[in-house]
Amino acid sequence: MDRSEINLESCAQEPIHIPGAIQPHGALIVLRPADLTVLQASRNAGAFFGADLRLGGPAPAILDSLNDDIRNWHESSEAVFQKDISDATLTAHRSGGLVILEVERSGTQTLGSLFARLRGFAQVLSTQADVAGSLAAAARFVHDLTGFDRVLVYKFDDDWNGHVVAEAGNGRLPSYLDLRFPAGDIPAQARALYAANRLRVIPDASYEPVPIDAGREIGTAGSPLDLSFSQLRSVSPVHLEYMHNMGTAASMSMSIIIDGRLWGLVACHSAEPHMVPVRVRDACDFIVQSLAMRIAAQVHSQDATRRVELARISGDLLRAMTSASSWSEGLETLPKDLVAQVGASGAAIIAQGECHKVGITPTDDEVRSIVGWLSGRADDDIFATTSLAADFPSAEAFAGEASGIIAIRLSELYENWLIWFRPEVIRTVQWAGDPHKIVQEKGRIHPRKSFQAWSENVRLHSQAWSEAELSAARDLRNAIVGIVLRKAEELGELTSELQRSNKELEAFSYSVSHDLRAPFRHIVGFAQLLTDRENSLDEKSRHYLRTISDSALAAGRLVDGLLNFSQLGRASITHKHVDMNKLVAEVVKSVILNQDDRAISWSIEPLPTAWGDATLLRQVWFNIIENAVKYSRHRNPSEIRVRGSVKGDVTTYSVSDNGVGFDMAYVGKLFGVFQRLQRAEDFEGTGIGLALVRRIVERHNGSITAHGEVDKGATFVFALPGPEKKGRAHA
Amino acid sequence: MPELRPILLVEDSPRDLELTLAALEKCQLANEIVVARDGAEAIDYLFGTGIHEGRPSGDPTVVLLDLKLPKIDGLEVLERVKKDERLHHIPIVMLTSSREEQDLVRSYELGVNAFVVKPVEFKQFFKAIQDLGVFWALLNEPPPGYRAKDGG
Repeated sequence: MDRSEINLESCAQEPIHIPGAIQPHGALIVLRPADLTVLQASRNAGAFFGADLRLGGPAPAILDSLNDDIRNWHESSEAVFQKDISDATLTAHRSGGLVILEVERSGTQTLGSLFARLRGFAQVLSTQADVAGSLAAAARFVHDLTGFDRVLVYKFDDDWNGHVVAEAGNGRLPSYLDLRFPAGDIPAQARALYAANRLRVIPDASYEPVPIDAGREIGTAGSPLDLSFSQLRSVSPVHLEYMHNMGTAASMSMSIIIDGRLWGLVACHSAEPHMVPVRVRDACDFIVQSLAMRIAAQVHSQDATRRVELARISGDLLRAMTSASSWSEGLETLPKDLVAQVGASGAAIIAQGECHKVGITPTDDEVRSIVGWLSGRADDDIFATTSLAADFPSAEAFAGEASGIIAIRLSELYENWLIWFRPEVIRTVQWAGDPHKIVQEKGRIHPRKSFQAWSENVRLHSQAWSEAELSAARDLRNAIVGIVLRKAEELGELTSELQRSNKELEAFSYSVSHDLRAPFRHIVGFAQLLTDRENSLDEKSRHYLRTISDSALAAGRLVDGLLNFSQLGRASITHKHVDMNKLVAEVVKSVILNQDDRAISWSIEPLPTAWGDATLLRQVWFNIIENAVKYSRHRNPSEIRVRGSVKGDVTTYSVSDNGVGFDMAYVGKLFGVFQRLQRAEDFEGTGIGLALVRRIVERHNGSITAHGEVDKGATFVFALPGPEKKGRAHA
Repeated sequence: MPELRPILLVEDSPRDLELTLAALEKCQLANEIVVARDGAEAIDYLFGTGIHEGRPSGDPTVVLLDLKLPKIDGLEVLERVKKDERLHHIPIVMLTSSREEQDLVRSYELGVNAFVVKPVEFKQFFKAIQDLGVFWALLNEPPPGYRAKDGG
């Protein structure tokens, strides 16, 4: 038979609270409260209560002096009645409307000496700084007091798996410190019993159970006697086998109950049969209850400390996130806090396609595979598990790093996640005692096998996430989402701020275009009217008038150029395929219109189609070609060449002339606003034309360069990207 | 030859007014030039209301309309004329300092017949006014039925 079947099948179904028998180190009788008639008795009761004991008869004579006390206790709310009679201790409790009276031999310990030792223990306990110290002190003290070979303190986890957290002993039995036990080793109904009755004792595991006989009295034979609170209750044969396989002949266990829940056990074992008298057991019970109170206080204070620490961590993380440019960068600056926030061993931040890892984590690819799996689930914004492999089988490959995860989704639109990891718990187990020393264990059930069973149970599992840790993760998610929303709001504000200032700029340039242009127009107009009217003016006066007119004209053109330039920054570009041959032909036609009878030799090659805004590109051609015509006007003939080529996604165009050229030393100034390389009296111009050209080309994601040589000519080359081209095209 | 109906010039700037009148004068047009100094006055003239109530009948042959005007601006004058069944056929030429695209677009949306940015150079300005005057006052035929409705 498989071990787990013994535990889970036989043991879990066994009605251990109504065994119908007791252990032989004491005797038990059942009395009717009304008249103290003996209804049931263990078969050995005569040896303890006297030969006059008989079923259906009155209480034995030994109890004569106690009859009134028992009746009074029964009327009271006291749970237990206890009294010493010569060398025996009597203990009474209620069960199913009846009084169960048990008797055991008293020990040699006096109450006085026990009290002195308990006081010593209380002092020792009060000096323990943490739970571990309190547990060790209690184990030591129970060991000293009872004389058991080994005293263990177990702690249950949330799933009722046991863990030996403290131990004291004389070395006669092997150490079980840090050993783990699966929940099945102590079945649910045993745990329920342990929660109700705090202390069990088996002085000799090889005992012969003593049956309890019932009289023929009405109402007692029908329902079995509930021995839940009996000290002498006979235990399950499975438990005895377990003890035998552990190499223990005697045991005692006491429940550590905290906040009404079975927190753990103090378990005592001896290799040989070992009796602990009632008084000493009571003292042990007191010790364990004191321990429970101490643990409760320490656990609560540790919880409080942890909460304060978590609040500090949350605060630090929040500050880091708000002061960084993005939440993910903020978290990356505090890797330790990020991991500590939920007590994880590692974390990964997945944001904007980047994966940033902290602590112990799976590889980048593995993290991405988790994200891929997570995003396929139509789930909540937070996902937590202690066994990722159970849901996501390929996670078994990295169970060592990520058996437990908490994942929080941070964006509906993008795969932005924060994931914490916990390793498989088996890999974190400390094994203080040497497992190979446990040689005397044999048979179907024993702790070593339990450990294996436990290992199997927790395979691919991490330690559980506590409610506090999950809520810390949720809080962090809310904080991040809040920060992201606030950043979006700030961005929105910035955008509307920009829009407002753009509007103001538009209004400004609108006003300039109306109000600044008008006076120049008026000066020019009236100067002209005056010139036309006054024929009597001398040459000097005419020169002055012309100068006034020319200056105002130049200023007017400057305003026009500036307006053009500023409008270009705001105007949206509509991209289309543009026939550059057509544009150039139009531009050449309009440029030579004002050139009278100049000799210009044009050489225009077929040009590739461009991708851009036709109106703006026309302006580019116009300014460049007009320049070529202007700066070559002293040549006869002027030679102007226009060419184009395609390279991949980029089209390039060039215009060369044989004009005055420029010194390459000043090429950097060529495209600046108001930068001129020629004197105004030689060549008219506003100094805006080429700045405008560069602005248009750059707004097309293109670029422009110029090459020149003084008195030889100049070449302008501009490149434009095609529709598919990402990034800037270089001329 | 079409009968000589007046040209309505709507201009608030006295200097622009003087320059425009000088230019029109040089065109030697026989048409009377009616001047309105703001949008409200232009509306009164066109609709025969307010100070122009009971004016002699006959619509202008063309309206030269400045864009920026006190009280009612040029665009609104344009809109009201083009939305009026009796007046919408009157040619309106927007004369403006503005090179702003938004004004141009809005004007054409409202049905302007021409949009002229006043050139800084007087010769060009002169030529533009001259062209406009000649085109709209002399050459442009009003739509059929217009004269009949007007009563000849």
